Amino acid sequence: MSEPENPHWLRQVSGELREEVPVRAAWRAKLLDEVARAPRPSPGAGDDETLSDPWASEARRPRRLVLHPLAGLAAAVAFAAVGAATTLAVMTRRAETPARTEVAAAQPASRTAAAPMSDATSDVDIVTFELSAPTATNVALVGSFNRWNPVATPLERDAVTGRWMVSLRLPAGRHVYAFVVDGDITADPAAPRAADADFGTPNSVVLVGGRSS
Amino acid sequence: MAPVTSPGVLGFKSVPMTDAMLVRRVLEGDTAAFTTLVDRHAAACTRFAMRMLGNREDAEDATQESFLRAYRSLGRYEERQAFRTWLFQILVNRCRTAAVRRHRRQRMFLVDDGAVAMASVRPAAESTELRAELNRAIESLDPDQREAFLLKHVEQLSYDEIAAITGAGVSALKMRVKRACDRMQWLLRDEEVSDVGT
Repeated sequence: MSEPENPHWLRQVSGELREEVPVRAAWRAKLLDEVARAPRPSPGAGDDETLSDPWASEARRPRRLVLHPLAGLAAAVAFAAVGAATTLAVMTRRAETPARTEVAAAQPASRTAAAPMSDATSDVDIVTFELSAPTATNVALVGSFNRWNPVATPLERDAVTGRWMVSLRLPAGRHVYAFVVDGDITADPAAPRAADADFGTPNSVVLVGGRSS
Repeated sequence: MAPVTSPGVLGFKSVPMTDAMLVRRVLEGDTAAFTTLVDRHAAACTRFAMRMLGNREDAEDATQESFLRAYRSLGRYEERQAFRTWLFQILVNRCRTAAVRRHRRQRMFLVDDGAVAMASVRPAAESTELRAELNRAIESLDPDQREAFLLKHVEQLSYDEIAAITGAGVSALKMRVKRACDRMQWLLRDEEVSDVGT
């Protein structure tokens, strides 16, 4: 079935945007040089992850880790110290919530909760991320746990309530995250802001392991 | 796409080589055949990436990474899918990743009409005012709308192809394209493009 002809303005816009972008010779030469140095492809072989999700695939790739027992002990002590310091920092920040609550309230129709639910082993929790964004068409979760990949963790919308939700199993520790709402990165209005918001983009934080943020 | 003649690849004077044939040649050891694939698709890929990301540097990085990933994964390419669609599937992922990485550095794309109207970025000397307005309008679209609009009306792919590339459903894509068109038409309402033919 043929599609209706586009209106004149759209044909003109498309024509302008379709104008060829010249390929720079230096760029082409560099690319071909990289290709020449890459392993030669063969049938059936290749990177399974190329199409689906390059970032998440890097996170999934098995890594070999050799750890000396003393180094392991030191790491465990350091981890416990960092965990205690982080918990203290979050609790302190909670005590000064008025300002933060105002920030959250300034975002209309948007209420969220990242609610950890302890599992029996306590080193992994099921965390439900929830966002009320009735007018949004696309909401995803990005964070340190999925390497900030905007397509790895989409939220599902409840058609009745307009709330978006996803549940993840997260290891114990501190996780920094944000929502991508129709392409815009948005901090969770119902959670504390991460102190280390990078590059000016506000992020939120959730603590997993018996204590929520 | 009409087959392009590639003299010498098979040792004959003029042999029409489809993309799938070139892929097979690469997998059989003729890695130079990949150069033909690069020459055939680099311009369109760079154009799409530039329109998505707004600047040549990011666009070239995303395109280069896409070709390298495509090369490394060529053994997984299935001929039932057009090579261009497969390549764009990789490219779209790279552009999304690049956009989010950059979004975390700074907000590049303006999202409200007031800001668009007040945008102070001026076009390069050789650019026309219309082109500058077009670029501003494109950048003001939501990323998923911009992506769908470019794939449909600039790269001229079918909705089925776009669905395969983006992972979105056809009806959702049609809605994105419609919203993009409505917004573009509104933003360009004072420009020459919307005056002509109305």
